[in-house]
Amino acid sequence: MNESSENGENRRTEFESEALPHLDALFGLALRLTGGDDARSEDLVQDSVLKAWRSWDRFEVGTNCRAWLMTILRNTFINQYRRDRSRPAQVEFEEIAEGPGAGTLYDADPEGRVFDRLVNEHVIRAIEELPDEFRVPVVLADIEGLGYQEVADTLGIPVGTVKSRLFRGRRRLQERLHMFAEEMGYLP
Amino acid sequence: MNDETRGGSGTREAAPEELSCEESLALVYEYLDGELPADWNDAVRRHVEKCRLCYPYFDFERMFLDYVHEAGEGAARANPELERRIRDLIAGEDGS
Repeated sequence: MNESSENGENRRTEFESEALPHLDALFGLALRLTGGDDARSEDLVQDSVLKAWRSWDRFEVGTNCRAWLMTILRNTFINQYRRDRSRPAQVEFEEIAEGPGAGTLYDADPEGRVFDRLVNEHVIRAIEELPDEFRVPVVLADIEGLGYQEVADTLGIPVGTVKSRLFRGRRRLQERLHMFAEEMGYLP
Repeated sequence: MNDETRGGSGTREAAPEELSCEESLALVYEYLDGELPADWNDAVRRHVEKCRLCYPYFDFERMFLDYVHEAGEGAARANPELERRIRDLIAGEDGS
């Protein structure tokens, strides 16, 4: 083995040992973003890891590799998402009542006991079932922890739209959790 | 919910000393998300701390957001075949 191929192999080994332990986390984020589409999520992870490999020289070893990979995956997804957004939005207009009201999860369970009883799969299913327009901002803000301005910049939409989509997405999540809780007999 | 909401990030008027329940409720998510300017954040906090109607609701919404965050971060398992495929592709690009 000559010196340059040995360097290449070291570089690859280093990349694999830094990046591949994060595949499960990347796949989890991909599933949330795609709404639970396994095949699309695998493609997204594969494309993102290959992009990371091609930019490996620009990664500073010792910094947060997981965060770097998650950002690459998020950007890869968003590029596809924004391309797809060139077709008309699917969101139907609806009036949203603000604050607590009759028939809401809060109304049925003000102490939030269902949050202890429902399992993670319920909320994951509820997130995956949200329409794209709501799911993507909810995943970016509520799971990935991005601020409103970051979500707005990422999606290319105004901050006011981010706020209203988060509001509506969270309301829909609560409605779905309410249904799960009733189905499971956790609520009267 | 839009940018015209009083205290929302689209407006920058100074926060009033007292907020009504309705005004506080309209800002629940911006407050819990840490997105309000400091004076509005303080105004909402002052109202919620002393309001027996708003306090439990804000508490509930905070529990909900924590729950979504923790559950949503939950581990998924990538197919082992995916890792094998990625290793092969990297090796291929590396010319080995």
